[in-house]
Amino acid sequence: MIGPVLRIDEVLTTFPAAGTRIPVVDHVSLEVHAGEVLALVGESGCGKSMTALSAMRLVPKPGRVESGNIQLCGRDVLALSVSEMRAMRGGEAAMIFQEPMTSLNPVQTVGAQVVEAIRLHERVSFVEARKRTIEMFDRVQIPDPEQRFGAYPHQLSGGLKQRVMIAMAAAMRPKLLIADEPTTALDVTIQAQILELLRELQRELGTAILLITHDLGVVNELADRIAVMYASRIVEQGERVDVLASARHPYTEGLLRSVPAAARRGEALHEIAGVVPSPSEWPAGCRFSTRCDRVESRCGDAVPTSTQVAPGHTVDCFVVADEVAQ
Amino acid sequence: MSAAIEGSPNACEPLLRVEGLRTWFPIRAGILQRTVGNVRAVDNIDFEVAAGETLALVGESGCGKTTVGRSLLRLVEPQAGRVLFDGVDLCTLSKRELIPYRSDIQIVFQDPMASLDPRMRVRDAIAEGMRSFGIGANAAERTERVAALLERVQLDPAWMSRYPHEFSGGQRQRLCIARALAVEPRLIVCDEATSALDVSIQAQILNLLRDLQQDLGLAYLFITHDLGVVRYLADRVAVMYVGEIVEQGPTEQIFERPSHPYTQGLLSAIPSTDPGRRGISARVIGDVPSPANPPDGCRFHPRCPQAFERCGRERPPTYFAGEGSSRCFLSDPAAG
Repeated sequence: MIGPVLRIDEVLTTFPAAGTRIPVVDHVSLEVHAGEVLALVGESGCGKSMTALSAMRLVPKPGRVESGNIQLCGRDVLALSVSEMRAMRGGEAAMIFQEPMTSLNPVQTVGAQVVEAIRLHERVSFVEARKRTIEMFDRVQIPDPEQRFGAYPHQLSGGLKQRVMIAMAAAMRPKLLIADEPTTALDVTIQAQILELLRELQRELGTAILLITHDLGVVNELADRIAVMYASRIVEQGERVDVLASARHPYTEGLLRSVPAAARRGEALHEIAGVVPSPSEWPAGCRFSTRCDRVESRCGDAVPTSTQVAPGHTVDCFVVADEVAQ
Repeated sequence: MSAAIEGSPNACEPLLRVEGLRTWFPIRAGILQRTVGNVRAVDNIDFEVAAGETLALVGESGCGKTTVGRSLLRLVEPQAGRVLFDGVDLCTLSKRELIPYRSDIQIVFQDPMASLDPRMRVRDAIAEGMRSFGIGANAAERTERVAALLERVQLDPAWMSRYPHEFSGGQRQRLCIARALAVEPRLIVCDEATSALDVSIQAQILNLLRDLQQDLGLAYLFITHDLGVVRYLADRVAVMYVGEIVEQGPTEQIFERPSHPYTQGLLSAIPSTDPGRRGISARVIGDVPSPANPPDGCRFHPRCPQAFERCGRERPPTYFAGEGSSRCFLSDPAAG
């Protein structure tokens, strides 16, 4: 396939509130290429999940995608019919979530749920689908896959449930896997197992992954490229090493410095002053300007646009743009 | 850490000493509700917290770390063991005798919204404890103290007549800390106090806790699953696994030279944010066993990459070496 697996261009998604529509995804552009892992990082409420849901056309009502262009596997997502979109979800593009318990049906065996997913997309017999499900379970390292086929979700641990979700998502060999906080609810030893599994699948099947997370450690572990979101906009984007080692946006810099693991004992942790403003409190101009330690008067005048600071590394900040220009 | 230890009967005695603490929850079944088994949430553990010190209790979900915190305050009743606070065994006290100690040990939970009464103004929530313990002569004096406490946790005292829902997550956790401080505790149990917060807000709360400790000489029992926070904050670390403490020691030692294979596995599973250091390893396989039915022998042996035959047969004792201890046959100094 030529071109990116997922291309989001200037997408605006809004929710109604207090008589106006609030942008939860504000002119976001990103690309995920075949076989690559793009991590979309940010704190709660920054719009990272809404960006993914917009791409899958799953934005819950009364929210809606107002404008922009979304290309998934070369097709215009916003122009597809409901049934075409349904065929795409779980087929070419699959999704896994933070809480596997709420994504699985509690009164159906996990095997039957994967079989159902396969048979929704392909005309195969139950026996054939069952065989493939057990193969998939084996592939995601679920012990005793034959036995686990008949297990109900409550009989499985959180890690195993997430493996079932991954088996279901990978069963159709999707070109794109959207993983929304896939390890956030898991313990660290189980998280390590799931991250290893995702990396293996991505290598073997060549699946592109859009990884949504707030955990910068997980990002470092899995991502090829990183996009940082703040208050509904992407503020910095680039290769993993560039963003983590030479972050330029004051928000990304602050975020990295406030991770306790990076600090020395006894030293004060770096703090980003204040709290993430709610959309009704967004300042004019740059939305980070109220918390930024490099703020200048012009930051309140207009929204900064992307500046390239290195090949493939862009930052939305007036101050950084000036430094680059010099 | 400079800490006020005058007032304690014996200066060598730590502020809190826990010996052989055991908290099991019975599993009842059938019409007669007979006990058919026990969830061994906390199974015979020992640890100490000195005045002004931070002990981190770490472990994965279900390892019993929260039950330890609750058992100290007797929010759940331990079946056996001693909880010595200032030399007094809290487990032998009657409910009435226990009351004065409730102001000495306070607890801050993970979810501040669930631990603040939504219909109570901030001023009343913070002053409630003071009233019960007779701190502040009258309402006016208590209000003055509330204002000072809010300032102490970096909130605007003018907000004291607001309700909890008017605050953000991080601000609510500050309120919970102010409420705990109101009764002048000497030990605060922080049960995943920063786990629900975004990293930039977590940094603010961790800095606040650190400042409070330096200024007031508080001791913390910091219960968490986040090892990054532990490394930053703790003086000593106790690692729990299925109801037991498997390793204990100074923070540097635990992170630099962990002895127990579980601690080693836990540390190697933490992803770093350093782009030059990638490659966590999933060397701890499988899932945490149920504390209702822990494995025979060493409880970690089914997941241990270094397990050998004896581990499934015999329960390892706790071996002490220097300032640390480890519950693993490999740590036996006699075995070399």
